Amino acid sequence: MSGRKAKLKTDLKETGVAILPGVLTATEAADAVERLWAAAEGFRRMGGSTFMPQLDPNEANVRVFALLELDPLFRDLIRHPTALELVEAVLGEGWMISNFTANIARPGAQSMSLHSDQALVVPEPWLAPWSVNIIWCLTDVRAENGGTLYVPGSHRFERHADLPADAPAQLTPIVAPAGSIAVMDGRVWHTSGANITKDEDRALLFGYYSADFLRPQVNWNALLSAQTQGSLDPWMRARLGLDAAANVRMAGRLLGARPKSPASTQ
Amino acid sequence: MTLAEPRVRPVIPAPVETLQAGLACVAEHGLAILPGVLAGQRLEEARAALYHAAAQDRARGREQKFALDYAADETNQRVWNLLSRDPVFADLAEHPTALAFVRASLGWPALLGNISANITGPGGGEMVLHADQIFVPEPWARDAQGLNVCWCLDDFTDETGATRIVPGSYRLNRAPRPDEAQVETVAVEAPAGSIVVLDSRVWHKTGNNRTSDRRRAGVFAWYTRPIYRQQENWFLSLDPSVRQFASDEMLTLLGWKTTGLGLVNGASPA
Repeated sequence: MSGRKAKLKTDLKETGVAILPGVLTATEAADAVERLWAAAEGFRRMGGSTFMPQLDPNEANVRVFALLELDPLFRDLIRHPTALELVEAVLGEGWMISNFTANIARPGAQSMSLHSDQALVVPEPWLAPWSVNIIWCLTDVRAENGGTLYVPGSHRFERHADLPADAPAQLTPIVAPAGSIAVMDGRVWHTSGANITKDEDRALLFGYYSADFLRPQVNWNALLSAQTQGSLDPWMRARLGLDAAANVRMAGRLLGARPKSPASTQ
Repeated sequence: MTLAEPRVRPVIPAPVETLQAGLACVAEHGLAILPGVLAGQRLEEARAALYHAAAQDRARGREQKFALDYAADETNQRVWNLLSRDPVFADLAEHPTALAFVRASLGWPALLGNISANITGPGGGEMVLHADQIFVPEPWARDAQGLNVCWCLDDFTDETGATRIVPGSYRLNRAPRPDEAQVETVAVEAPAGSIVVLDSRVWHKTGNNRTSDRRRAGVFAWYTRPIYRQQENWFLSLDPSVRQFASDEMLTLLGWKTTGLGLVNGASPA
């Protein structure tokens, strides 16, 4: 582990968010933006809508689902070794790919409401991270163009009651150059920022990974085409939960307590 | 060895006739026994369908062992994915009485994690003591995260290996530790046609079948809150005709009708 990554893990522990620049080169990031717009077009051709009124106040936020179906580039990014190292730094070994979406904030895009991904679905108390976001910054990200806003240290909130009344005042933008990864603990309270620039798009990919006993946000069996599923290796199939090995977590832990024989327990 | 806590040792509640009394039992004891939910021809149909499927699996070498069962067992039998074996099992999974317990304990929507059978046979061994929500890291949330509805297709007796529970264990709101594996348990006895409803925190196991000639079949429908991954991957394994003819409630239980999780392009698969 390099000193840079050690620092990153310290940041993650202290604030719930950490930024690793230079995972993609400027050229690779620019190429990914082009392919993202192509994917957005492909998604619309599939009959999808890139406007999600339940998430965003207006159409200046462009959401692209089905990234894993639409371009092999995204199938590579979701399993990028650096991304997975960070996922496992937060979640340990037992995790699945829950979702992979894009949010392009165009000028005029407005904020979502403040939330924690984990608190949205998991009952209190939240004592450990059960999910993590790997945010690919495909463009420069800063407060003015709608950088994700988060409450530093909010991954330590264990209950709704811990959310301070002035949480919105504590919101801090993620600032990162194009090609960075931002890691965000699933417990961090955050929202998308507003893009108040005149002419700047802010493109982010959200790789969302969750503990393997949780239901993924996406039903990959239903989403991915037979052709795409057929192209995946066993590792990827397992991380997407496509196969018969479903939620059997912890069964292994009990094997030590297995009865010796029927007679011994009577 | 007996369980040290709680100090006042609760008992297994007596069987009850009404849904309302059953709900009160689950709230107070973590389990309820309701006799006669299946009777007559419907009970016979379910029993015949299960033993037919079990015989088919055994004859064709398709049995699959379960990690929590006694390993050397050649007599006990599991039958998985019952929804795909006979339509009668969908009737059990979405039986109004079962779903009333699910709604009361877990809310709605809920998911059907699994529906499988556990048939004990003569000389069959017991299972590892466990709670069904052990896959959830501790400390557990305040409320039950799942519910098991056991359909007794034969008489459940101490001798035939009725499910055994640790009374009051659900109040501890944690899994049994390895050193508690041999804590005292009580057989949940119930006549064929009963349902036994178990809060997911109740410590339990299959009992030893001490008979020389009797099998005991139970169908276990396992439901969870909708945030948990199902044990059975229905989108992979379900007979398509079950989905084709499924009610809206069944589509919700299986994950075809959903909100928030298990989506396709941000929307419900069906």
